Amino acid sequence: MTTWKEQLADQIPETMGILIDTYEAQIELRKQGKLDEKVFAEQRLRKGAYGQRYDNGQRHDGVQTRQLSYPSGELVKGPDTLWDAPGMQRIKIPYGGLTARQLEVLSELADEYADGILHITTRQDIQLHYVHIDDTPDLMRRLAAVGITTQEACGNSVRNITACTLAGVCHDEVFDVSPYAEAMTQFLLGHDDVQDFGRKFKVAFSGCAGHACGLVKMHDLGLLAQTRDVDGEIVRGFTVFVGGGLGTVPHQAKVLVDFCSEEQLLPLTQAVSRVFARLGEKKNRNRARIKFLVAKLGIDEFRRLVQEELETVPHDDRHTAYLDSLGDFTYEPAKAGMSLNGTAMPDGFANWYQTNVYHQAQHGYSAITLHLPLGDFTAQQGFHLADIARRFVGDNIRLSVEQNIVLRWVADADLPAIYRELHAIGMGDAGAGTIVDITTCPGTDTCKLGIASSRGLTAELRTRLIERINLLPDAVRELKIKVSGCFNSCGQHHVADIGFFGNSRRSGNHKMPHFQVVLGGQWHENAGSYGLAVGAAPAKRVPDVLEALTNRYVAERAEDESFQSWVKDLGRKAIKAMLQPYMQLPSFDDQPEYFSDWGDSRVYTIDDIGVGECAGEVVSLFSLEIAKAESTHFEALLALDDGNFHLADEQAYKAMVLAARALVRTKYLDVGDDYDNIVNEFRSRFYDTELVYDRFAKGKFARYLFKRHDQIPNRVNEDYAHQMMDETQLFIENIHTAEQRINGVIVS
Amino acid sequence: MTIVPKRLAVKFNLKREPRIQPDDLAPIFQRWIQEHTVDGMLIDVIDYKHVPEGPGVILIADEGDYGYDLSDGQIGLQYIRKRDLPDNLPDALRLTFRQALSAARQLESEAPGDLAFDYLSAKITFLDRMRYRNTSERFDELHDEISSALSGIYGASVRLERCYDDPRFNFALRSTVNGDLPADDVVEGLTKNLTPV
Repeated sequence: MTTWKEQLADQIPETMGILIDTYEAQIELRKQGKLDEKVFAEQRLRKGAYGQRYDNGQRHDGVQTRQLSYPSGELVKGPDTLWDAPGMQRIKIPYGGLTARQLEVLSELADEYADGILHITTRQDIQLHYVHIDDTPDLMRRLAAVGITTQEACGNSVRNITACTLAGVCHDEVFDVSPYAEAMTQFLLGHDDVQDFGRKFKVAFSGCAGHACGLVKMHDLGLLAQTRDVDGEIVRGFTVFVGGGLGTVPHQAKVLVDFCSEEQLLPLTQAVSRVFARLGEKKNRNRARIKFLVAKLGIDEFRRLVQEELETVPHDDRHTAYLDSLGDFTYEPAKAGMSLNGTAMPDGFANWYQTNVYHQAQHGYSAITLHLPLGDFTAQQGFHLADIARRFVGDNIRLSVEQNIVLRWVADADLPAIYRELHAIGMGDAGAGTIVDITTCPGTDTCKLGIASSRGLTAELRTRLIERINLLPDAVRELKIKVSGCFNSCGQHHVADIGFFGNSRRSGNHKMPHFQVVLGGQWHENAGSYGLAVGAAPAKRVPDVLEALTNRYVAERAEDESFQSWVKDLGRKAIKAMLQPYMQLPSFDDQPEYFSDWGDSRVYTIDDIGVGECAGEVVSLFSLEIAKAESTHFEALLALDDGNFHLADEQAYKAMVLAARALVRTKYLDVGDDYDNIVNEFRSRFYDTELVYDRFAKGKFARYLFKRHDQIPNRVNEDYAHQMMDETQLFIENIHTAEQRINGVIVS
Repeated sequence: MTIVPKRLAVKFNLKREPRIQPDDLAPIFQRWIQEHTVDGMLIDVIDYKHVPEGPGVILIADEGDYGYDLSDGQIGLQYIRKRDLPDNLPDALRLTFRQALSAARQLESEAPGDLAFDYLSAKITFLDRMRYRNTSERFDELHDEISSALSGIYGASVRLERCYDDPRFNFALRSTVNGDLPADDVVEGLTKNLTPV
């Protein structure tokens, strides 16, 4: 019987073939118990083969936690990750660029190995879900045969390198960054200097400073196109940003180099990688991203180290070899550019044209955005779309960080025809880039870390907004909404006008899904600033929260006032007061529907049944105490808004101590008010015993308190205060979760 | 002997537009997990109803998935067998038909008077492009074997036609019972013929 390995032998590049063969051998070794589970896990992750929710063999079905007894029994593909449990396969698509043939192969794989759906991520990857580990080698071979690799798609490696979807066709770009993204992808893939990172490393390119597309300021390494006049000659280069990132504690990237010439781009990147590999945290994963190293060293010292390292980077022809072929990086449109004049317009075209069409810098051509619900499309849509692409645009397909598909080089005269064809396959929805085009991570649908259903909420918001999109004022239509299922920010909620991230609260003896509301983030200017949390609302009240916010924004905004400006002017206190009615927690008996998440009929739970006793009495006391901590945190936020960073820091610190006290008092009522006593009791009772440990972050959140308690900051600036706010928020969340786990009689 | 495909699916379409909406399916499937209503190690429910003509709402299981499927513009119950298929095609078809029928009947019983599937016809999909290329030649090669197996399942002769001409699509067939047999008789025959011995 022929195998894919045999059938595709001539089409797979040798190096890729060897890597896949090695991986397949490792699968066998692991099955035989000859390869350590942790070692295999890292190897698997570096091939993009990820775990998925419930892969530890347990699932709460709404009544009780059930064991999932997979056929391979106790065999694991990593710690607590059962072999047969469905997994996710992440597939890197550098700068989102796809050919029609690649799209077809991805579609084939979706229905042969997954659930028939292709999901676009916020890093321009494709993800397939419910994939069995045994199928992954052949899946990778079929991708490799069309030039796609999953190598280093996950794990502690350089992730998919992203770039503007409009690169090469944009009116405002300094130059097309696509060939540079391609060159860096090829250079770093498997490079020795990027194999020993303590955590992942994300790189992005942007062609201009003003638009959002590249998001360079929220990346580990961001490259912003620039030119300079050197002795009368215009030379290309980049402003290099380093140390940005979202995650639990967002950091704005710092400028490492104002202008790095194109000749120095790869050597400099290599030097940054070497410094990160050498000095970055390795043991504590929660502080292992480069942003923590940059923050710890300071940008000046980090810059000095990189410059020093740069001098030790050995010569490599590849550093500049690609520059000779930059001119070969051209686009081949399927048709000559022609204007739209006189072409008949189908129904619905006008709305679609308004939101989904971008006129390219090249006369007579447009880039069109296919607005996909939740970033999903089917295998059959993929085949049809490949046909449409071939006829209208050739191989000029890109995936976007907003989880859409962009077809570039559409002749303007073809716009009505391509709209008609896209509409026929369910890919002609208007509203790209508007409030209905919501970004979301997988959340509790498939992610192991998900706390609330980001996709369920997004689907609900989208349905409601589409119903009245034509009634919405322009100012509301243009808002960005982004949703994450937890604090890890995969949905990029920090850079949305209105962001939400999942958490949970307790009401009585039940947990209730919540979303923290994050307002005022900035998508433009490459993710220019981050929003801050204003409070958490039950998941089922979030549509009401959104309506209240947008109604008031429309009613009160000054002419042309942005949402960020309005939020800032209104102030956190007033916003909190506005949202307060939506933040009340009903009891399970009164409103049981609040205790199920969007799109999930089960009574909500985030983990197995909690342990402990005397919940009823303790909960009452704890609820009062933790409310004080939350109020104090809110005061800290107000102080931050007023620019009083010292006060903000002091209040945030106090909020953490109060939260710790709330938990300590569930075991030791007479702890008193002395900060040293509280922290010592908290440390010995909950931290040293690991009772407060988060399942994934371990003791990270508790250490935020210890760090601030042990060391008064020398200098409190805005950046520091922002970070303090975020850490306090996370610490309080951690206390909530720990209390539920330790003390609660959690029945759901 | 023909090699069985990696995955095999059977879908029964609804006879008429139902009153219940795809939204109603997730709670039903969640309940099936709680009560272990259908065969298999039931894992989770995933909702794709937002995708036009997509897989709808799927009850994911280890051996095979049950879906309230919306593909091809036809609502139906589809069972996709993913592993542990018998090593011969007639038995693989029999197993997949049995699971699909069982789930469809269960769904009908939970929405009486509303959901009604057309059992006289089925879509059979071979999810395996290595062994089952979607070509007319492959159809000709397999026609008699599949037709014979389905006749055994239905207790009546069937006619087969390819669902898609596009060679990139899965090899998928529509089987339809020949003649003017009463639907109830067909279901009775199916149930009897598919009962494990």
